[in-house]
Amino acid sequence: METTTVAVEGATDLEARLRALADWLAERERVAIGFSGGVDSAFLAVVARRTLGQQGVLAIIGRSASYPAEQWAAARRVATEFDVPVLELDTDELNDPAYAANPSNRCYFCKSELWTRLVPAARESGFLTVLDGTNADDLRDHRPGARAAIEHGVASPLADLGFTKAAIRRASRELGLPTWQQPSSPCLSSRIPYGTGVTRERLGQIERAEAALRSLGIEGDLRVRYHDELARVELDPATLSKWMQPERLAVVCDAVANAGFERVAIDLRGFRSGSLNVLHGITPP
Amino acid sequence: MTDAKRGDRTARNARSLAEGLTELGLVCVIEARGTLVLLMPDAASVEKLADESLRRAALALAKQHGFTHAAIELPNDRRRADTDADAAILRD
Repeated sequence: METTTVAVEGATDLEARLRALADWLAERERVAIGFSGGVDSAFLAVVARRTLGQQGVLAIIGRSASYPAEQWAAARRVATEFDVPVLELDTDELNDPAYAANPSNRCYFCKSELWTRLVPAARESGFLTVLDGTNADDLRDHRPGARAAIEHGVASPLADLGFTKAAIRRASRELGLPTWQQPSSPCLSSRIPYGTGVTRERLGQIERAEAALRSLGIEGDLRVRYHDELARVELDPATLSKWMQPERLAVVCDAVANAGFERVAIDLRGFRSGSLNVLHGITPP
Repeated sequence: MTDAKRGDRTARNARSLAEGLTELGLVCVIEARGTLVLLMPDAASVEKLADESLRRAALALAKQHGFTHAAIELPNDRRRADTDADAAILRD
């Protein structure tokens, strides 16, 4: 489908886009959604629930070690609050050597595993149309996982209808979704540089470190990037300014070191999406 | 370019960056890891880096020297005892 995307749009544009999404969903009648509880999939699931009713939607959570446990709890809370039926499955991409080796197309292997399990489960439950929450901005980024979705016949209506992240956040706020201002939450493996193996131990270090920083009250975008014995912490730039005092930095250092890192560094620029892609010279398509 | 030549260039860039940071008033031990540069500033320099304009200047300088990322290593009490004895001005 040909789409036109704008970064900021007025209320009328957004209303038109929401109507187009509702029409798109209504044509399919019943949809299953790969559901992480993040900004995009939560929005899609709630719009689908409102458009198609409770029998017309199934949110499927694919649980894996590459996502923090807290994320699944948050996903369940959103689904419960908005009366979206949920099915939970376990995925096991870490046992795929192609994934664990962490090549630059790692996401392809993860999504292949996800859709290999999720699409048949959806069909067994009577849902022939399977969706993901890919948005229009994602099409401009390095997203090798998109190929797996295409191979498994998974549709991406938010991207196809031109919903940017900003538009999804705005519409989510209007729908009363708690996710509207939630930071983006890619998998924990995205903190490990390509070529460095993904292991449960490393994912655990990263998860503990990020949880410890959140427990200090750090809000907004936050990443703990894995560099072997070194953790490089990226904070939202506004948050970074608040924490750049020696005594506060010492607290940050202790929190991250206690998660299992020998050395701790704080990035001077702060959070940037795709930071490790930049480090490895990978540019968006 | 061979790894050896790339390593030589990175080392030169790191030395030059250290000099530039000193001119900004930042005294740092520097460690280059590919295009990531780690700055290990002294206590006074850590305090100076609370100034956002100085952080931006340090980042710009790092970028000029070919580094895509610059981070300051935070003093880790548990590790300091091990490294104080053999700290170097430049590591790469």
